[in-house]
Amino acid sequence: MANKKAFSKLKGREAIVVGIIIVMVVVFSLLSPTFRTYTTFVSLLDSSYYVALMAIGVTFPIITGGVDLSIGTGLISYALFGGYLIVHQEMPVAVGLLACVIMGTLFGVLNGFLVAVMELPPFLATLCTCMINRGIGSLLSGGFGISWPSALSKDGWFRSIFRINSNGKILPVGIILIIVLVFIMNFVLKHTKVGRYTIAIGSNKEATRLAGVNVKFYHIFAYTICGFFAGLAAIAYSGTYVTIYPGSGAGFEMDAIGGAIVGGVSASGGVGSVIGTFLGVLVICLMKVGLPFIGLQANWQQIITGLILIGAVLIDVVKKKKV
Amino acid sequence: MKKKLVAIVLSTAMAMSMVACGGATEEAATPATEEAAPAEEAADATEAPAEGGNGYHFEILVKSFQSTYWQAAVKGINQACDELGVTANCNGPANESDIADQVQMLDAAIEAAPDGIGLAACDTSSVLDSLAVALEKGIPVVCFDTGVADAPEGSVYATVATDNIAAGACAAENMFPVIEAQIAAATADAPVRIGEVNQDATALNIQQRGLGFINKMIELCTAAGKKVAVEGNEFYVNAAEGAVADGAEVIIEVGVPAQTTVDLAATEANKIMSKEDTIAIFGSNQTTIEGVLTANATLNKLNADPTQGIIGVGFDAGTPQKEAIVAGQLIGSVTQSPLMQGYECIYTLVDICNGETVADYPMDGYWYNTENMDADDIAPNLYD
Repeated sequence: MANKKAFSKLKGREAIVVGIIIVMVVVFSLLSPTFRTYTTFVSLLDSSYYVALMAIGVTFPIITGGVDLSIGTGLISYALFGGYLIVHQEMPVAVGLLACVIMGTLFGVLNGFLVAVMELPPFLATLCTCMINRGIGSLLSGGFGISWPSALSKDGWFRSIFRINSNGKILPVGIILIIVLVFIMNFVLKHTKVGRYTIAIGSNKEATRLAGVNVKFYHIFAYTICGFFAGLAAIAYSGTYVTIYPGSGAGFEMDAIGGAIVGGVSASGGVGSVIGTFLGVLVICLMKVGLPFIGLQANWQQIITGLILIGAVLIDVVKKKKV
Repeated sequence: MKKKLVAIVLSTAMAMSMVACGGATEEAATPATEEAAPAEEAADATEAPAEGGNGYHFEILVKSFQSTYWQAAVKGINQACDELGVTANCNGPANESDIADQVQMLDAAIEAAPDGIGLAACDTSSVLDSLAVALEKGIPVVCFDTGVADAPEGSVYATVATDNIAAGACAAENMFPVIEAQIAAATADAPVRIGEVNQDATALNIQQRGLGFINKMIELCTAAGKKVAVEGNEFYVNAAEGAVADGAEVIIEVGVPAQTTVDLAATEANKIMSKEDTIAIFGSNQTTIEGVLTANATLNKLNADPTQGIIGVGFDAGTPQKEAIVAGQLIGSVTQSPLMQGYECIYTLVDICNGETVADYPMDGYWYNTENMDADDIAPNLYD
């Protein structure tokens, strides 16, 4: 009964976010004729792929009541590693792509170990791995930017994972991949043991442990999923932007975490859905792309994003107080 | 017990992360050192200093190790060190936006009491206090890449930098003939738009480069009988000379991203390139022109023929930009010589230490396109 009630509330939150998206699209389209074009739509999707993948992953740690602050610099570190193998070690592009995912997953396991086994606060544990990632990224790349093969080169085939150029018309095929992953991970979260235990850890960790669940294992698993998706996000970022610069990436995680919070994932854990997260990411990316189009300086985007996040967290707090 | 264990692990993790972050300092100089001179050669150089070097040690601060531009500068620094028998420790923040980090590094460099400091300042106003301290301690500073206009008198002995105003103007001068017909046909009712994406509005070199382009374009358009308005970022709008507020036939729109990242630069470029009246765009450094190229991957509007699309002009080098020029997406670009800037910075510092009089060393910006990319005087500057 309680679950049914919570589910209906989530549906309500998702509906509100969809409403916000519609309002934003209408407002931006009315204020900027160039916003309502196909190419802007494709650009919006381009800029959302890596954020969406990070957000799908980070939904799991947040639902456990934690967070993963390492995914932003991690994304850059993994992309630098993959790029290093391709450019400097002349390995096939597929090896570079695989390296991104493996490195991301390993860092996810490390984060999970630090949080679940060593019992470090998630904020501190992932802040430390965030800094480690930043250092490793620079170390692997020799401190300098690495350019992945561009669409103009023959090794640039991997870019067609996210966009296909069909007679000059760009088809944003990446969105299909993202939507499929969103539904798969939403199913995992809602209907599998891994997902249910993830939610249970966030709702009441001690009660879950007393119920005989291997809390440490599933806690680590949540962070591993997050790391895996950060690795996928590294591929999406490299597939969209050519040069990866060490030192960048700090702040990327806030777009992903912000998307999850706006989409209804509770900052204190136990509540949320991957579909909601995806919708929240669309809100964040719409602001990133839309606000410059209506003539606002990019700094306003950060201010407005911060204000929207405060609003989203306040809704969460008020809902909790009512319950 | 558990608390102790957590404390130990936390301390270890913090220490590890500091080591990892600190590692960037060491690695920064290492690759270029290896490229420039094997260890044995470096040892030889130390044993037998080149004439005039006297074994001086310098601290060098670059803006970041983000782009291959700085790789070339460090290479030049190491090359000069080997020739003169001096040593240099290169350091810099992870990101050109990390202004506070660089100021901290500059303060640490001053504390190390080197024979001189080479500085490429991320933010020209943030280093003023540190420069005053360097002056008090008698440590000479040579700025390279970016000058510090308001530096305390006597603190900066010389500036080795591209004449950024001229370099920006060079981009405008090469763009204008290609879009001249479109500008001639422009009216107040049907104006044309020229875009410019600058990575910031704080670093002096970017300010000068951006304004060099804007002011030269205003001059050329005005000479062609057209009024020009400047829109977008407030700094560039207010600093532009000769622009009008109303009735413009040519609009120069300046976009500045909130942070120095390609994706945010791409959004700014996308906003400008999506407009129907945009006929040309200039990206004033490696990051912003890559933002333009990223935006074009979707828009597919860049074209070397002004009747078919938007004319694109870049700045600096890097693989994506060079590929775009070869593919005809950009008509050309302006390159600096980061290698020579690093090289001359060390030579100037040694001259100062030897008591010689030094002066500013303005360097040219060079126009390159498909025709001269492989020329002897251009190719060495076109880093990947």
